Amino acid sequence: MTWLFFQAVVSGLLLGGVYGLVASGLSLIFGVLRIINFAHGAIMMLGMYASYWLFVLVGLDPYLSILVTGPLFFALGMLIQRIVIEPNRDAAEHNQLLLTLGVALFFENLALVLWQGDFRTVRVWYSGASFLVADVLVEVPRLVAAGGAVLIALALWGFLRLTDAGKAIRALSEEPEGASLVGIDVARIRGVAFGIGSACVAVAGALVTPFFYVAPDVGESFNIMAFVVVVLGGMGNFLGALVGGFIVGLAESLGAAFLPGSLKQLVVFGLFVIVLLLRPEGLFGGRGGR
Amino acid sequence: MSSDQRDPVATPIGRRRFLTTMGAASAVALAAPARGRAQAREVKVGYILPVTGPLAFEAQLALNGLLLAVDEINGAGGIKSLGGAKITLLPGDTQNKVELGNSEAARLIDQGVTALIGPFSSLVAFSVRQVTEKNKTPFLLLATVADNVLEGGLHYCFRMQPNARAMATLTVGNMIEMAKSAGTPIKRVAIMHEDGNFGTTMGNHVEAFAGKMGYELVQRVPYNLRSPDFTAELSKVKAARPDLLLISGYYGDSKIIAETAAKLRIGVHALVGLANAAYSNPKFIAENRELTDQLFDGNYWHNPQSPRARAVFEAYQKRYSATMSNHGVQGYQVVFVLKDALERAASTDREKVREAIAKTNLADHILTQDAIRFDDAGENVNATPALLQVQSGKPVVVGPARFVEAKPVFPVPKWKG
Repeated sequence: MTWLFFQAVVSGLLLGGVYGLVASGLSLIFGVLRIINFAHGAIMMLGMYASYWLFVLVGLDPYLSILVTGPLFFALGMLIQRIVIEPNRDAAEHNQLLLTLGVALFFENLALVLWQGDFRTVRVWYSGASFLVADVLVEVPRLVAAGGAVLIALALWGFLRLTDAGKAIRALSEEPEGASLVGIDVARIRGVAFGIGSACVAVAGALVTPFFYVAPDVGESFNIMAFVVVVLGGMGNFLGALVGGFIVGLAESLGAAFLPGSLKQLVVFGLFVIVLLLRPEGLFGGRGGR
Repeated sequence: MSSDQRDPVATPIGRRRFLTTMGAASAVALAAPARGRAQAREVKVGYILPVTGPLAFEAQLALNGLLLAVDEINGAGGIKSLGGAKITLLPGDTQNKVELGNSEAARLIDQGVTALIGPFSSLVAFSVRQVTEKNKTPFLLLATVADNVLEGGLHYCFRMQPNARAMATLTVGNMIEMAKSAGTPIKRVAIMHEDGNFGTTMGNHVEAFAGKMGYELVQRVPYNLRSPDFTAELSKVKAARPDLLLISGYYGDSKIIAETAAKLRIGVHALVGLANAAYSNPKFIAENRELTDQLFDGNYWHNPQSPRARAVFEAYQKRYSATMSNHGVQGYQVVFVLKDALERAASTDREKVREAIAKTNLADHILTQDAIRFDDAGENVNATPALLQVQSGKPVVVGPARFVEAKPVFPVPKWKG
């Protein structure tokens, strides 16, 4: 039983890192644009395909592909924001929500047309690598993904704290009108935020491809969990999303190990509802709480 | 294997390829009556398959089997009792959608088909069966697995392949029998199954079957298909120390489960798929040679001992430059069930053909079972899945005993803890 507990904790933490990075991007977009981006999972899927094709066609390692997909998806994110979201800035909130849902459906069906429903896998030499610590299994690619996710999230946090662009993003997230009054180009910053969020999720996609598979609906595996994480960590709270990722990963894993049947999902979504009811600002506070 | 959800290994064929197939089929349809008036009549048979959409890849494989069988029959002089009448296949595309299944079935019935073949997904079958019953048209189910599709006193619906119950209980039965003769009896069984309709049905059968077969179900773990990690679930299974781990799932999930089980040193005698979408799938095996070696799977298959099956496989290879899949086998065989009935009915009248199908007793087939016979509900009473094991990168039949083509490797050393 103690072995089972530690195994569940380790695999929960490893999964949680990836949830955290996916959710960080989502949280950032929410904080700045005040929209819930349903296309987040679809963008992750596109990022995974990008890493897959870079590996298959050019032989680029999925981890190194981040250097290409990161900037590429930053640009794609800015483009989506500029073309689709910005013109509907003043539309009713539910319209913007439906808009991102439309973008998600468009991308998923585009992927289905371009690459079929086939499941594709990237087989790199370290795909199967794993080691045991006191009988507890640690899979190397999952460890790299979790570690990489934390590093990137922390680097972004530093960027938000220390650079002018980062400060502008935070200003916009905290007080949009004020930010606009002090001369921040709010439209551009909204684009930058969406770009960073998209790059985050594309990088998360690249980090999971060595141990996961790529398919048009693969984003859904992470997307719904990311919503839970964002609510848990506080809407718009970047670091809260990272910590929330670990909490959800742990809850899911321990639920799977110690509860019967499919109850693990119930634990996670139960947590989601309880937090929304009792602490709607999230465990670590909302946009102000950074 | 079919399902109510999108199938993980599906690849839609391009629209162009579908149109070519349709074009070819309708060319035959146009040409046949001209010949038919001069010589024999034709027998119109409709198929409704998801030839575009999420199940397109497998539907195409089944369709290849249908076309192969129809051409073989027509090439050998058609239906003899009907004066050499040729079979004309009329196409219908369901896109795996219920409404389209209904409308395509109705359209084909309107065009005067003697019987319908299809529709892959159980969900579509549930709906189309009402159309075929109402129009008194024989309906031969292809790849549809849900148990209750034939419930409700249907008269025109028949299923050649094993249903979920046969698939689950006969596979576990075969496994237990094989283990006994290998001197390593199975006492403790665990199952992991996806928590949709397909997996849950399999899980229910394995649980209900435990008392009867005298094994203990030590762990039953339903899981979410889209879950990115199964380490905790498999750790729970490992802690229950089963002799056998059964897995009923789709492509991506089954892959990650097998990989994680290997790394966790799961410590079972064997990993066994139940109608698993991956474990006897040639694409999966080719991409995961080391992982798949010695995996078991209970699935539809052909009889490797049958000389006819070998000839059919050769013909398929020659025509499509690919190995015939289990869906192709199903498609091929179901046409011959209909052919046999047409010969005996000596008529294209739907009612007479239904009568003949109900009285089927077909021993000349390429499946791993005794004669094909239907009970009152329309189920093939002898339907049997094959027990397969991947050996040297190829799934081979290791059970039931009379169809065996290779000795099973059991217990499998690599799954030992």
